Amino acid sequence: MLNGLRGVLKGRAIGLLGPNGSGKSTLINTLLGFHAPSRGTARVFDLDIRQSSKEIRAAVGYMPENDAFIANMSGIRYVRYMAELAGLPPEQAMERAHEAFFYVGLGEVRYRKLGTYSLGMKQLAKLAQAIAHGPKLLILDEPTNGLDPLARQRMIQLVREIRDAGDMRLLISSHLLRDVDETCDEVLILKDGRIAAICDLEEERRSNRKFIEMETIGADQEFSEAVQALGCECAVFGHGRMKVVMPDAVEIRDLYTVAAKQGVQIRRMDHRRDSLEDIFLNAMEGKATGAAHDRL
Amino acid sequence: MTVYKRNYRSYSGPVTPMRWRWLVITRHSLAEVFGSRVSVVLFVICMVPALLSAVVIYVANSETARLLLNMRGPAMTIIDNRFFFRLLELQGWLALFLTAWIGPAMVSPDLTNGALPLFLSRPISRAEYVAGKLLVLGMVLSAVTWAPLLLLFGIQAQLAQGWLWPNLYIVPGLIAGGLLWIAVLALLALAVSAWVRWRIVATGLIVALVFIPAGFGAVVSGVLRTPWGLVLNLPYMLTLVWSHLLRTPIGWRREPLPLSAAWIALIAVGALCLIMLNKRILARQVVRG
Repeated sequence: MLNGLRGVLKGRAIGLLGPNGSGKSTLINTLLGFHAPSRGTARVFDLDIRQSSKEIRAAVGYMPENDAFIANMSGIRYVRYMAELAGLPPEQAMERAHEAFFYVGLGEVRYRKLGTYSLGMKQLAKLAQAIAHGPKLLILDEPTNGLDPLARQRMIQLVREIRDAGDMRLLISSHLLRDVDETCDEVLILKDGRIAAICDLEEERRSNRKFIEMETIGADQEFSEAVQALGCECAVFGHGRMKVVMPDAVEIRDLYTVAAKQGVQIRRMDHRRDSLEDIFLNAMEGKATGAAHDRL
Repeated sequence: MTVYKRNYRSYSGPVTPMRWRWLVITRHSLAEVFGSRVSVVLFVICMVPALLSAVVIYVANSETARLLLNMRGPAMTIIDNRFFFRLLELQGWLALFLTAWIGPAMVSPDLTNGALPLFLSRPISRAEYVAGKLLVLGMVLSAVTWAPLLLLFGIQAQLAQGWLWPNLYIVPGLIAGGLLWIAVLALLALAVSAWVRWRIVATGLIVALVFIPAGFGAVVSGVLRTPWGLVLNLPYMLTLVWSHLLRTPIGWRREPLPLSAAWIALIAVGALCLIMLNKRILARQVVRG
């Protein structure tokens, strides 16, 4: 059950995160018009899900979480069938089905019956049917479900390629934070059917790149002032530990230059790693992270 | 560029009208039906009585043919409403067995491995999905029931001068009677296909659902000494309606039921099948366990 969802998602690749039962699949099903909302509405590409459900579905490619194939049908016929249902004329559907199969790396097995495919191949065939008709929005529900590490890597690579091609937007539902971290630039975290956080991962990554944690030997007030003179914000803790927020104009080598001048040894330097896991855990605990807080 | 060298690209070509897109389901399912040799053989067998009837009609109208066959005197077979009624009954039974074979493969393969949400994530509604599948059965069963009978009617009208106008009422009777039986069979087959995964079991069940309630109804009628047990006898209900449509007397040992009872029974069967379909034709995946 979804309740009180209010927000705008504009990312090119949006990750949908949340624990089991948080409403990820329900949200996807609602956007696809499978569930009618009891109250409120949603808009996809400016189309209302209540009034333009078919138009939305025509613009969407959907890869469901669980098995979705016709065992006795060859892969190529299955993808062609789905492309025709999405509106492609038979000839174009056939051509696009071949293309999609080669694109996902199943070109050699496209005439085999789907029932004989391995789990990884079935996942890729599901992806092929979702992209064959060239949708504007690709919805992937747990795309790496049950895949071995190699197959997972292949799937993630494909998703990234599709994202980088820029022809379609992606909505990726997953409980694997790593998958979302590697493919998405925006994340919506759900908890108990409500929005726990909306986070612009790109913004988060950018801000993390500016945030430096250092361990030094010999750093003193003078070093701190020299760093601040560069335009950085600086906080000094005990045992030579420092946190520095760098402005865009300052590079890391400037810090090394200052340290060399003052005879300070920089023993460790890390970018802040406020990972997606931190963002997720904070959201689950009800805390909002920086970027997430701004949007809520 | 060859297909295997192409990268992903968006599609900007023509698209088919959304209103008629459900016919894609019909086309692919029809190809699936006739992709099976057993289905083709059964279909051909269903045509045999109609072909033989064409010969009978020709012989009945041709003195030369009768002489060649050493049949003296007037034609032994009278081509009238009773002839078409008997033929409709025969084709109806054959249609039942054809449905029992092709019907189970209609919905079940889409449900077994969760392909249904893919259909319904396209601009296809649940009703359109069912309509697409019904149309497949409608087309195949029409080809073995009322359509060949209509052709035979045309042949008879062509061969017998002055026969057409007094017997014209047979045409709507054949079409309506045939379509009614097709609707009942198709809905029954889809409902069974949606609920039973194994083809052989589903095939048996379709036949059983016609005969077992009829047997039970006969027991009820016998024990309670009432004709109302016949309500469970689907073929009898159809016979009642066909008799009315083709203006033939009802050849039944007991006192016949009112026509309205037959209509109510048939509508109830159809509604029950639709309820069963409504429970199973769902867009979302339901994962148990």
